[in-house]
Amino acid sequence: MTSRRSILPEKNPPLQTVYDAVLIGGGLHNLATAWFLAREHGMKSVAVLERNFVGYGGAGRNTAIVRANQRTAENVPLYKEALELWPVLTRELDFNLMFYNCGNMNLLHSEAAVKAARTNVATARFLGVESRILDRKETARRLPALNMSDAITHPVHGAMFHPPGGIVRHDAVVWGLARGALRQGVHIHQRTEALGIEVKNGEVTGVKTNAGTIRTPRVLVSAGGYTAGLVHRLTGLKLPVSVLTIQAMVTQPLKPVFRHVVSSGAYHVYANQTLKGEIATGAHMDPWPNTTIRTSAGYIKHQAEALVELFPCLAGVKFMRSWAGLADMTPDMAPIMDGNLPADGFYINCGWGYFGFKSSTAAGRYMARYLAENRCPDRLAPFALNRFESHRLMGETAAPVLYTPDN
Amino acid sequence: MSLLIQCPLCGKRNGYEFRYGGEDKGAYPEARELSAARWYDYVHGSACTEGVVREWWCHRLGCGTWFTIYRDTRVNRQVQEPRESARQGTGRT
Repeated sequence: MTSRRSILPEKNPPLQTVYDAVLIGGGLHNLATAWFLAREHGMKSVAVLERNFVGYGGAGRNTAIVRANQRTAENVPLYKEALELWPVLTRELDFNLMFYNCGNMNLLHSEAAVKAARTNVATARFLGVESRILDRKETARRLPALNMSDAITHPVHGAMFHPPGGIVRHDAVVWGLARGALRQGVHIHQRTEALGIEVKNGEVTGVKTNAGTIRTPRVLVSAGGYTAGLVHRLTGLKLPVSVLTIQAMVTQPLKPVFRHVVSSGAYHVYANQTLKGEIATGAHMDPWPNTTIRTSAGYIKHQAEALVELFPCLAGVKFMRSWAGLADMTPDMAPIMDGNLPADGFYINCGWGYFGFKSSTAAGRYMARYLAENRCPDRLAPFALNRFESHRLMGETAAPVLYTPDN
Repeated sequence: MSLLIQCPLCGKRNGYEFRYGGEDKGAYPEARELSAARWYDYVHGSACTEGVVREWWCHRLGCGTWFTIYRDTRVNRQVQEPRESARQGTGRT
């Protein structure tokens, strides 16, 4: 077994005075960006700055679900590429990411939901993503533990089934990418906070940190839920983001209960059985912004009620742990990936809400290309910040429940 | 997520009776000569401060009043108005 300590040294490397690129935030998006910068663009003088420790934020707090059945034609291909990268990265990083493509089942509880899912399925298929509608009978066959009674709050009409999705061991992705980046010569500086950006004649020239000042022509901020506050502190730029605490929990380990990732908008719950047998479940977001990352008793109760109604055999099963992380929600449920604003050489990758894990590898790869070539890749063009100023919001909100507190 | 909010009419009440209304961004901008950038800032832009923020709330399940309070987003508690010198990033432009 490889221990976590052996992957990242206890002591930081010496902070160089010059780097080709500085990536602020030591989470999955920046670790992936660093990996692809070194691997695909030969840019190896790269520093990743992390205020706490690598894996502290959303990287280690998400519920590990991956899928590519989003709503719009701009978003789906990005997630599809991310989904296809898991087996590739497992090989290239030489690290078992434990990708388990068990498929995702979105339970549908009304005719209207089935109709909405048909639109989603059509989009997915058009873009080459496997997705289909299951009727009641097929849903019950695939999930024998599911309560098919008509007498529950939201009887099950069917499901939207997305076979290529599933779960990936999120910690393994952190360790694999961190080790891969280190081996490429990337410097990972933990307990190192970005305090300021230096700009001359409209161009980024450096970053001030608590460990010293770095000269660099490129700075990327991608720090999950902490990005918007940080970008505002560093540059004064305000982003269309609400930072909300989102909660999750796991039960004690059980024998196999269900073999797919299951989610239900009506019950406001999603669940998957991890490879250890625990049922990981969540969905609740606090209704107002905060960075407490605390859990609440009321939600644990709601979660237990919803799960037991959907899966009566789970009655009496105990929750072992609960935790929370931050989600940076945008008004259109789509991310912001942009560059050269408000100064040349300043890049932003944020607004992923609760989709940051499943997108991390593809987003990192595209941001690496953006930084290396200083030209926005076509795939990222729709995600520019100015879509909000020009009132061209994306249609992702048509898929899930809308969560920002500003709406 | 516990939160008590002081409604100016009803007193201290459970946070779930209220609707969060965003950071206080000052007065509604003048329509005349309003730039797209200024409108973006007012409608969408947030400072997302980790700390004390002045923000709008509505007592939705109570008297319906809109009012502003100060809240520390790090601990999710309503706080007194900070002294000008100590205040950092209230969300005002």
